[in-house]
Amino acid sequence: MHRRGVGAGAIAKKKLAEAKYKERGTVLAEDQIVQMSKQLETFKSNLEEFASKHKQEIRKNPQFRVQFQEMCATIGVDPLASGKGFWSEMLGVGDFYYELGVQIIEVCLALKHRNGGLITLDELHQRVLKGRGKYAQDVSQDDLVRAIKKLKVMGNGFGMIPVGGSYLVQSVPAELNMDHTVVLQLAEDHLLKEGLAWLDSQASGEAQYWLPALFSELTSRDVTPEEANQMSP
Amino acid sequence: MSFEWPWQYNFPPFFTLQPNADTRQKQLAAWCSLVLSYCRHHKLYTVDVMEAQESPVFNNKKIERKLSVEAIQVVFEELRKKGNLEWLDKNKSRCLVMWRRPEEWGKLIYQWVSKNGMNNSVFTLYELSNGDDTDGEEFHGLEDWMLQRSLQALQTEGKAEIITMDDGKGVKFF
Repeated sequence: MHRRGVGAGAIAKKKLAEAKYKERGTVLAEDQIVQMSKQLETFKSNLEEFASKHKQEIRKNPQFRVQFQEMCATIGVDPLASGKGFWSEMLGVGDFYYELGVQIIEVCLALKHRNGGLITLDELHQRVLKGRGKYAQDVSQDDLVRAIKKLKVMGNGFGMIPVGGSYLVQSVPAELNMDHTVVLQLAEDHLLKEGLAWLDSQASGEAQYWLPALFSELTSRDVTPEEANQMSP
Repeated sequence: MSFEWPWQYNFPPFFTLQPNADTRQKQLAAWCSLVLSYCRHHKLYTVDVMEAQESPVFNNKKIERKLSVEAIQVVFEELRKKGNLEWLDKNKSRCLVMWRRPEEWGKLIYQWVSKNGMNNSVFTLYELSNGDDTDGEEFHGLEDWMLQRSLQALQTEGKAEIITMDDGKGVKFF
């Protein structure tokens, strides 16, 4: 009669089978790694080709830059992740945003005494373009937003407050409390309703809104906090 | 001494009538104050509305802002309600600006009279506003219409009596 394998021999056999499976598993994983490396090599060389073909385009053309950024996002890559990274070296994009960040800081610092550290994205854009001169690369508002986001990561006290479809760029750390931020996010009508803003209908172009609390440019002397309070509830 | 403008004068929205009611109240209060102190500084007593538009008070050329005619009227109405302004005509084209109200002038005049121990004396109106004795007093040079109102105020208070004399009006102080 043939007995079922339950003895020492059977156990040994089982162990051998397990060991073989494990080996197989390792072999499989190794296979995958080799495959991935190959794919990465291909990807890298494709990228190098892409970079050399389009580097100029990326640096010169803001729309192309946006599309490039979006493409990178979909494949889970941040080309600005680090100044010395593979990507920034490959594409030279990091420098561009780094330099832009410096320019943004310069503009904000220069105007801080006048606007208290709050500037519209529009005005920032205009001034940065002016500062770059005729022959420099064109810069879009999207570029500014990305550069500012990078500045935030470095902890420079930069923030962006969405207001009516665009942004206010804040360059003083945490001076606005929650209430003010919330109000700023409402439409200008609401600002008027709150009594925090004054309407100026004689500005060239469309109506402008002024915040007395941020108004500090005067002929003879600065507004004292009491006087500013006179004009706000 | 040159006139010192308040900081609102260089704040562009100050020249736009504010839609928000609370803000407008603050704005009008500041405008009333500015108009009165400007008139006081320059010893202006009457204002022509058309001329006022071009005056530096309502027209800040430096910041290229001016108060509209409608807004000026609103400011003037505010002053009238406070007792600092009176229209001279139905069309509201000219007005008297009383940066000091008749009662306040009366008080000043009476103080001077008492200080100099001139109670129970009689003065002609001319003596009061243009006499040598009053030279240096704030009410010296006071325009006739305002002087009369001031004395009328004192009369109501029982501190004076306006009398008619041969060549004009006079006043006796008690």
